[in-house]
Amino acid sequence: MTLLTGETDVFSAASKADTCAVMFMAKWQAEDKAARGAERDAIAAVLGALKAEGWLLSIRAMFEPDGPNEPMALDTGFAHTVDIAGVFEAPSLSAALAGTIRLEKAGWARLFTTEWLIGPREFATVKGAGGDIPRPWAFLALWEWNDAWAEADAATRVEYDAECDVAFKGDLAHRVNIAGRHRFDWAHGWHHLGAWEAPSAEAIDAAITGHEHAADFMFTTSRHLIGPVRPLRDLLQPS
Amino acid sequence: MADSIWIHYARPRPHWYRLDKAAKAAKTKDWAAVAEASKQAGATCLGRYHIRGQHDFETVEIWRFASPEAAFDHWARLTAAAYNEWYAFSNNVGLSLDTPLP
Repeated sequence: MTLLTGETDVFSAASKADTCAVMFMAKWQAEDKAARGAERDAIAAVLGALKAEGWLLSIRAMFEPDGPNEPMALDTGFAHTVDIAGVFEAPSLSAALAGTIRLEKAGWARLFTTEWLIGPREFATVKGAGGDIPRPWAFLALWEWNDAWAEADAATRVEYDAECDVAFKGDLAHRVNIAGRHRFDWAHGWHHLGAWEAPSAEAIDAAITGHEHAADFMFTTSRHLIGPVRPLRDLLQPS
Repeated sequence: MADSIWIHYARPRPHWYRLDKAAKAAKTKDWAAVAEASKQAGATCLGRYHIRGQHDFETVEIWRFASPEAAFDHWARLTAAAYNEWYAFSNNVGLSLDTPLP
């Protein structure tokens, strides 16, 4: 896998080639803000087929690929302009792109206006402190390297990466699991995705404060999403 | 293989304008070699168009690749040649509507 920037203490290159994130940020456009029965069934059938084809359908499954693999997503409407967001992992770029179209055709397109972001895994998952505690919240960070990063010399970037690594170690101490890093720049304006699962919203906020202290955002422009993680089937049929 | 369109929006980053003519030419030549290698591998560049008048970016370039993987490979070789450090960009990929789906 081609890395846009290099490995660090915290992050190492993923060993499994070709795995590809499929992230979605979706806003209800259906007037009744709910899937009809037939759409729910058709979307569930596509997700079932994707699972059979080797897709991981939650951030959780990226940490435990042999564990439960039910479709999960973040309930983001309380804090963001998008109502739901999530990340799956497909076996290849081609499978990823085709999968988004299969979902759209199954009825997703009527339900939501969706931004799909697709790209290969660069870094392997990293587990935080605390062992297998419940981590019912998720955090999705999209970022691009800004003009200041682009102009900085190699030594400055190495120093910057080391400083950010301090913050990433802080995230792990806050019992955050980091699902590595994916590369989106080939097909989007955002360059990377960092997806986390966390014990609470407070843990995410404390961790991100650490990134501010580490001057992470000196060289990046970021967009962050948080939300409790819920089964996608429940999110398609809000009460 | 799946017919894929790849759309590339770009504009020079601020420090590009401070390069002298020779340095700009050398880098442009490197990136042209990347594009040429993609064409040799079967990709088609449909053209590069000026859009500064109605967009945040300066140019849009449109390519056809035999697969999303080929588009990614093209971009990965450009970034390995530091293209992204001199140009801000936004990219899109799309599958042909004629692509058979499972």
